[in-house]
Amino acid sequence: MTRISAMALALVLGAAAGQSAQADGEKIAVLTKNQTNPFFQAERVGAAKAAASMHATVLQYVPTQADSIAEQLSEIDDVITKKADAVVIAPVDYKAIVPGIQKINAAKIPVVNVTDRSSGGDFVSFVGADDHTIAKKTAEALLKAIGGKGEVIVLEGVRGTATAQDRLRGFKDALAEFPNVKLVASQPANYQRLQAMQVMENLLQANPNVAGVLAANDTMAIGAMDALSEAGSKALITGINGSKEAVDAIKAGKMLASGDYNGFVQGCIGAMIALRHLRHEETPKQVTQPTVVITKDNLAPYDVPLDQRQCPSWDEVPKS
Amino acid sequence: MIRVPGIGRVPPEATRVAMRLAAVLILGIVLTALSSVFLRAANLMNVLRQAALLFFMSSGLTLVVLTAGLDLSIGATVALAACVAGTIVKGSDSVWLGAATALGIGAGVGLLNGMMVSLLRIPSFIATYGMLWVLQGLAYTYMAGTTVYGFPSALRRLGNGYLLGVPIPVIVMTGLLAVGTGFAQRTVWGQQIAMIGANPVAARLSGVPIKRRLILVYVLSGLAAGFAALVYLARLNSAEADIGSSLTLPAIAAVLIGGASLFGGVGTLAGTFIGALILTLVLNGMNLLHVDGNWQPLVTGVIIVAAVWLDLRGQATGR
Repeated sequence: MTRISAMALALVLGAAAGQSAQADGEKIAVLTKNQTNPFFQAERVGAAKAAASMHATVLQYVPTQADSIAEQLSEIDDVITKKADAVVIAPVDYKAIVPGIQKINAAKIPVVNVTDRSSGGDFVSFVGADDHTIAKKTAEALLKAIGGKGEVIVLEGVRGTATAQDRLRGFKDALAEFPNVKLVASQPANYQRLQAMQVMENLLQANPNVAGVLAANDTMAIGAMDALSEAGSKALITGINGSKEAVDAIKAGKMLASGDYNGFVQGCIGAMIALRHLRHEETPKQVTQPTVVITKDNLAPYDVPLDQRQCPSWDEVPKS
Repeated sequence: MIRVPGIGRVPPEATRVAMRLAAVLILGIVLTALSSVFLRAANLMNVLRQAALLFFMSSGLTLVVLTAGLDLSIGATVALAACVAGTIVKGSDSVWLGAATALGIGAGVGLLNGMMVSLLRIPSFIATYGMLWVLQGLAYTYMAGTTVYGFPSALRRLGNGYLLGVPIPVIVMTGLLAVGTGFAQRTVWGQQIAMIGANPVAARLSGVPIKRRLILVYVLSGLAAGFAALVYLARLNSAEADIGSSLTLPAIAAVLIGGASLFGGVGTLAGTFIGALILTLVLNGMNLLHVDGNWQPLVTGVIIVAAVWLDLRGQATGR
């Protein structure tokens, strides 16, 4: 099932990239976390585009069950059996993935780690953004916009995941800079839209005068946004990911900002590094993307459909 | 007393529903004591509206469980129906076309489930488990990681509208509860469905058309999921391929907390409604009291086990 849907997806993506992959080029396996989050869709398209422009083929692997570490580990077995030339992986679980990475290392297949940093294994390079900084800068934008005072609610991601922990820490660090802001509730909505809406509806009963909502991703921000607007609340809201839906909401003035996590560019750079490594070209050990908080003032470059976006050139890639 | 294979005798339905109502009341009193906003009309309407979506999914499931079956494909049906109907509403601007699509997908999935269970005699939890994967795969391929969002207000009213101060999903839920209870308890078909689960041999000997009734309950379960998909779209104004995975287990939990037996023959829509209400109250209470959300699955699990245990205890004292 996983393989069939991954292959179907690869076909769709191939079509989206507008180029047929060359069968004689290198074969890189791209492993992402789920089909749900538009972030990983952007990452897949980015990787496919970069690979296509370098005349290589991409095999997409996505767990059928969102964020299933068991499925991702069995995907790794499949990748090794199929003898992919290189692997680009966004680990579902930064700890549980380690034995899988060690297997890829043992099979002498180079691996590029993207998005969430694995806690072990050997990598050609890590490409990611710093969750803590993104969350902190996004929260600062919101806290400034509400005038540095009032009640704020935090919607957390899945407890125990690296992204949720780092983002929550970023939010808290920003809140510490604004002593007149009161954090009235911090509840998990597990990155899910329906849960975010229901949690927000419930919290609004007790805290109708909330001035701002910090959501740990765009999906939750938009779920909460609907609950807020229905309750007639004027609270400002921010998310993280820079998804198309969030960019539309920012453009419409319904959302204040979204921390940019640029999955598309992460996918591009991950695939570029994997291919450069295979072609014995120099590669950086780490690429950290600059943090951008998308607001009404700077959203133009994000307001472009995925299949029309361009990967950065190698010269534009920050090498640190 | 009703005899349930594997459990023994359980108290009559009315007693079981009354016991659950008492549990809701106690929960309500505790929350009222702990939170100043719990008992406000706005919060109670909020709870009922949240319970409605869960009830729509678990209503059809209750009938399936009555026949000693299980439908694990509900969540995935909601996801596929919501994604396809959502894109159709976006493309055509026709709410009716979208509604027909969602209900059509639900009924079609239910028909396939029913045929697998009745004609091919595949155990329901395996047939519908397989269906879950098929539907998820279809939804993923169809959406390719995208999100469909921004629907016309005519559709959104089904989720966010009010009639005389009552949320529309709550009104629909009340109607469905009344009609469904009438169907399950007052019609020949409804009684035949319960009989299939309670005593399949007697049902066959007394001439109940088992295969056709089984197909019917799975079609109804699929239709309920298709309708839930519409309400989901209307409420959340968006859909993506994965929305179903977090919906199935709460729907099953609502049916079990409501007093239906997985061994068949026992269960009411009123009980399932209370089950959905209890699950929703738990989340509402935890949010109002700012309890760490990690406790919620634990509390849900304890409530399921406690509900079944209370039924067994009622059996011991009622003898």
